Parts: sequence; C-alpha cells; structure tokens
Amino acid sequence: MTDDVKVADKTDSLTDLKETDEDLRLPSVVEPAHFPVETIDTEARHQTPAVGQRATRPDGRLHGLGQTKYIDDITFPNMLFAKMKRAGISSALIKSVDTSEAEAMPGVAAVLTGREIPVNSYGPSYQDQPVLADERVFHAGDPVAAVAAVTEQIAEEACERIKVEYEPLEPVYDPVEAMKDEIRVHPPHSNIYATKRIKKGDLEKGFAEADRIFEGVYSTQMIEHVPLEPHASIAQWDPNGRVTLWSSLGRITLGRADIARTLDMPINKIRIVGTIVGGNFGGKNEITTEPALALLSRKTGRPVKMVYTREEEFIASTTRHPFIMEYKTGVTNDGMITARKVRLVLDGGAYCSWSETTLGKACILSAGPYNIENLLAEAYCMYTNKTMTGAMRGFGAPQVCFAYESQMDEIAHKLGIDPLELRMKNAFHEGSASPTGQVLQSVVVKDSLEKAAERFGWKEDGQ
Amino acid sequence: MKKRGKGMGCMWYPIGFTVMANPSAATVKVNEDGTATLITGTVETGQGSLTVLGQIAAEELGISTDDVHVVSADTDATPMDTGAIASRTTYVTGNAIQLAAEKAKNILFDVAAPMLGVRPDQLEAKDRRIQVKGFPQSCLPIGEVAAHAQNGAGTPALGSASYNPPTVAMDPETGQGKPFSTYVYATQIAEVEVDEETGEVEVLRIAAAHDCGTAINPMLVEGQIQGGISMGVGMAIQEEMLFDDEGRQINPNLTNYIMPTSLDMPDLEVDIVENFDPTGPFGAKGVGEPTAVATSAAICNAIYDAVGARIYNLPATAEKVLAAIKSKDHSDRQKYLPAG
Repeated sequence: MTDDVKVADKTDSLTDLKETDEDLRLPSVVEPAHFPVETIDTEARHQTPAVGQRATRPDGRLHGLGQTKYIDDITFPNMLFAKMKRAGISSALIKSVDTSEAEAMPGVAAVLTGREIPVNSYGPSYQDQPVLADERVFHAGDPVAAVAAVTEQIAEEACERIKVEYEPLEPVYDPVEAMKDEIRVHPPHSNIYATKRIKKGDLEKGFAEADRIFEGVYSTQMIEHVPLEPHASIAQWDPNGRVTLWSSLGRITLGRADIARTLDMPINKIRIVGTIVGGNFGGKNEITTEPALALLSRKTGRPVKMVYTREEEFIASTTRHPFIMEYKTGVTNDGMITARKVRLVLDGGAYCSWSETTLGKACILSAGPYNIENLLAEAYCMYTNKTMTGAMRGFGAPQVCFAYESQMDEIAHKLGIDPLELRMKNAFHEGSASPTGQVLQSVVVKDSLEKAAERFGWKEDGQ
Repeated sequence: MKKRGKGMGCMWYPIGFTVMANPSAATVKVNEDGTATLITGTVETGQGSLTVLGQIAAEELGISTDDVHVVSADTDATPMDTGAIASRTTYVTGNAIQLAAEKAKNILFDVAAPMLGVRPDQLEAKDRRIQVKGFPQSCLPIGEVAAHAQNGAGTPALGSASYNPPTVAMDPETGQGKPFSTYVYATQIAEVEVDEETGEVEVLRIAAAHDCGTAINPMLVEGQIQGGISMGVGMAIQEEMLFDDEGRQINPNLTNYIMPTSLDMPDLEVDIVENFDPTGPFGAKGVGEPTAVATSAAICNAIYDAVGARIYNLPATAEKVLAAIKSKDHSDRQKYLPAG
C-alpha cells in the first residue's frame, strides 16, 4: 500500500519534474548578434593601387565593437589562474622558500619555485634574469614563486602564505654610484655591463676651431609603457609533451627560442600564438611569465592563465632607461658646430634586457641629425637594484634628443641666431656622413624643419 | 601671469636594430579568384601593421587592400619574424612581403604569357589584371590567371621570401660602420603656456612633420604620430616612476603615476614629409618610434621661450618649472665658457 503510493508519488513527481524542467528551460529565442552583421568598408580598402590608400583596419572594427579577443577574454575548460609572489626587497640572498602552507590551501593546484625551472635564466642579450628568483633577489619586483589555483583570489592568498627567508644585501640604486663597482649587483660581474664608443675626426682640433664652447648636463626619468592590456599569457601542456602558449608577446619567433632554452626543450615542442596585443611600445619584447606558466600547466595537466596587475606592469616589466647626459659642444660665432663630446650614463636596472640595443642607438644618435666632423660619444650602462629597463619606443633616442635639442636651443639663444636657422645650417643633407661614417640616403631633415615651421607659423611673429 | 612660448625639436632615427641580424620572412598565396593570403610571423601590437603589410602585398600583386587577408603570429604556421620592434615592421617585414608577392606574381606572369602571346617580362599586375606593359587593353583578370595557374598549369601562385637589412659591423674602438640600413627624420614644434606663479605647463599645440619614406597608409602614419606625441607629452611634463629608499616603487599605479589623458593633449597639426627610400618597400621606411622622440625637447624649449627657465631634468613638473623660474638669474646650470 505504502509502496504503491510511493510509486504513484514517484510517477507524479517525475511528471512534475519534467514539467518543471520544461518551465525552467530558457526561452527558445536566438540571442541577437553582439555586433552589426552588415560590414562597413571604406572605399579605400577596395581601391588600386593599394599603396597610399587611407585603408581602414579590419581589427579596428573588432576593437570598436568589443569583439577583439585579448588574453583576458580567452578561456579554456578547467583553466587555472596563476599569481606570483614578489620579493619586496631589492637585494638579498634567498635562504629558504617554504611553500607548504600555500600548497595545503583548498583550491591551490600547484606551486612553482625557481629551483624547478630547468634553465632558470633568460634575456635577449645576456641571460641574466631568472624566471623565478632562486638564489638571489636583484630588485624588489622579482618573482620568487608562482602559484596556480582555481581562482585568482586563491592564488593571490596562497602567495601571501609562502614564507621566504632573506639575507639582506647592500643595494645600489644610483647609476653613478654603481659605476664605482663597490657594490656589485651581479657579482662577480662589473656593474658596467655595456659600453659603446663612437669616435670621428679630431676632437681637440674641433674644439680649438670653436669660438664658443657650451657645456650642459641633462637627465631623464624612468618611464613605464603603460599599455592598456597588461602582460598576459595562457599555457597549455598537452599529453604529447608539447606546450602551446597564447601570449601578448610582440616577437614570437625569438620568444619561442627563449622559452625552449629555459624549459630545455626542442623548439618544435613549443607553439606560441601571438594574440592581438593591446599596446606594446617595446614593453612586450621579451618573455616574462611564459616558462613558469608552462611548468605550472605541466604540473597540473590544466591550462594556466596569468595576467599582470597594473602594479606588476610597473614593478615587474621593463621600463624606459633614465639617462644622465653630459654634452660639450664647440660652435663658431656664426653657428657652425665644430666639435661635440657626449657622455651617457644609463641606469640599466637589475637586468640587461634590451639595454645593449638602447645604449647603441642612443650613442649613435646622440650627436643629433647634424654634420659634426669632430665627435666623441661614449656610453655606459649600469646595473642597479631597480626595476629592469629595456626597450621602449625610441630606444634611448628621446633621452638624447632632449639633451642635444635643449643644447641647440641654448646655443641659438646665446648666439642670437634663430633656432630654426641654427638647425638648418648644421642639418644633415643627402650624402652626409653619419657619426659612424655611414653615407646617408633619403635625408629630409631640412624639409621636415621647413614643413613644421611653415605649419606652425614659426616666422610669423617676426622672430 | 601666464606666458606663451614656442620651441622646436629635430631628430633622426634608424629603422631596424643593430647588434645582430634582424630578418623577416613571409609567404604570399594567390587564391583562384585573384584574392590573396599573406602569412607573416609578426604580431599586431595595435599599430595597424597588418593592414600596412597587406597593402604592400596588394600593391605588388596589383590588387586592393581588401583583396588580401593577413594571417599572422602563430609559430606553428607562420614564418620567422624578428618581431614588432625597432620600427622595423614596414621596412624589413614589408620588404620580405614584397619579395614573396613578387615570386607569386612571377608564376602568374609565366601562366599568363602564353595566354596573351607575350613574354613574362612584358607583363605587369595592375588594377586586378595581368596586362601587357604599354598595351593595357591586352589583359586578363588576375582571377582568371590565378585559377588557370592552379587548375590548368598546375603551378599555384605562391611565393616565400626573407629579407635582412644590409649592415656593416661597427668598429669597437671608433664605432665606424653601417649599423642600420636607413634612417628617418622629423621636426616637432610646440607652443606652451606657462603659469609663472605655479610653474604649471599647458601644451597648447604641436606641429609635427615626419619623414617615413612613402606613407603606405597615410591615416595610420598620422595615428602613429599622434600617439607618439602623447607619449612625448607624458615624458616632457608628467610621467615619472619614483622609488623609496629601499628600492621599492612609490607610485606603481595610475592614481599617482600621472600620464596624459585626452584632456592633456594639445592640438596636433601633422604633416608627412614627402620622401622615397629606394631600399624600402615601395619607398617606405618606418614611423612607429620616431614619433615619440622630439616632443619633450620641443616642449622644454618652448618653456624656456615662455619664461626663460631652462629644464635640465625631465619631467618638467610644475614644481621643477617654478624652481627654475625662481632661480634662473643666479644658478644657471649651463656653463657658458669662452673658447680656449
């Protein structure tokens, strides 16, 4: 009797359930498209010849409609989120790293330390940067461990529970102080890790020919790229031991070789998919978290994503080199430059990154776009216990331009020559020899001076 | 009292980077209907490079920008590229693409030549047609030739090529050599208004005249110049990362690290200086980085013109400008010496 009732109840409840299920179903309405399906093309995209057309960008439309998939928009089933523990101390030996409490946290899938990385060093010129600091901390933004967890919040909390014991070391922050090599950032290596010299003509003779000599010391600050999209990557290790990385990296071919080196893997086992990058400006020209994410994915068998916070973008990515620039320039009374001596000191931060290239470009460009027969330019790049400096839009050119153009202005005012005229007198022309003796082609310095002056109305107020 | 001033900055900048080779490679495939696919290992980092690279492939094949679809940035599928760095993409990757497209085009010429009864070297690709030079009425639609290349002749039109800028290593002692293949040139002129009481600087307008060789896409060149100037304004008067005594950053956030917003931007007047570099793809050089180079010098020179205060240390914040105004008569750091 009771059983019958039960059966009847069951049947009823099943029917109910079915009905409820029907009721609960989402309405059978096709969601509207997230974007207007009619494409809008500019005429310019369809015209020939193609060169010279103001053709619109196909990606521009995707950005405008919010359809671009940046790393933060990409997700995979069972994906984990990684966070890194930052040292917070600028120079120290790492005595111990205790990850036990973090590993025991619910939601934490894996913890990674520097000792687990096959080749724990990377860098585009010198391999002086650890993926995760293991023996020594070189600047306060250094990562000392990485955690993969089911949410970013849990990964963050787990990082706080990692205990690192440090033995503080004497730091050096000022590049001029660092030049003395009394405190070494990467012992036994000298802090002076890159130098460049350009010598042309006879400097003494050039200064002797000058009517006046101008001297000045200029300096510039450390600057962050501040891309809208921070550094971001997803790593997915597959059952064949091959790893795919979706990355905001701006140079995937060389990045793949760097990752292969740190993971001690053949290049053909690594795939990098360069996603649409939300701003680079030179800051995304080297690998950052990718090797650690690859290893966390191998440890967990799950895809792992990491997106830098804005703070990490400042403390753990490359920045623009601060420069100290000494300029000495000899000129004749009618404004012809007879000699220029330049000395550049670059604050190279904790790691080389693209400093060598920055130093080279800055040194080559330091005399400005002017014909100078007698020139000496010397440049030095120094390790300091600060955030690493690297490639940034202009590779040292904005810094030296600030110096040489400030001095050109000074010379013009002191000699009573119009700044435009002073530049026109000294500017490169077709066939000019550069400071490195290169014969220049397609030179339009004077055209650019005249065009900008005309557009601005430089001469209109009678100056 | 607010005073106005004007100042200029002039610069030169190399295309590509030195120290080591920096090649790019590319593949161009012409589809059976005369549209094409460009495969490149470079990454679109927001500058519009894929559009420009597509235009270079299109130009070589005589088709339109929209006729070329660009596939990029997958190390499993795309050829090597040194990357979106050093203002090298238009010049170096562009040259590789032009060479690759030329190879594909030559296959079309080989196929079209017997169809038109001429030699391949008498042909040109223009306005979506393969036509006889000097006799454009003797022509075939590019799609017809491409379809015949693939389905008739069995020689699908595709090409791969690489390019590396020719350089000469620099002498370690004197630096003499040819570190870069080519350079670009530019001038920027700024007008500022300086508040003498507070030292605050407002950049009112900037005229910028930039050389990039041929402007493959003038709109995108203008965009680069505008964006570069915004970074230059930040460098000149606002942005600075600060550290405490223990090497930790004080302002790693956008509340305390001040950078230009649209409200800080001056009026911009942008000109592209007409030029042609014989070594670049269709005469093009590059434009990305040079746009951010001359701005801070132009602004600081304008500050000097306005209030007579020379700034030696960037950024020219209100505090620094005010201090320079107050001390300009007695502590000029610029030593001015007679010769000898």
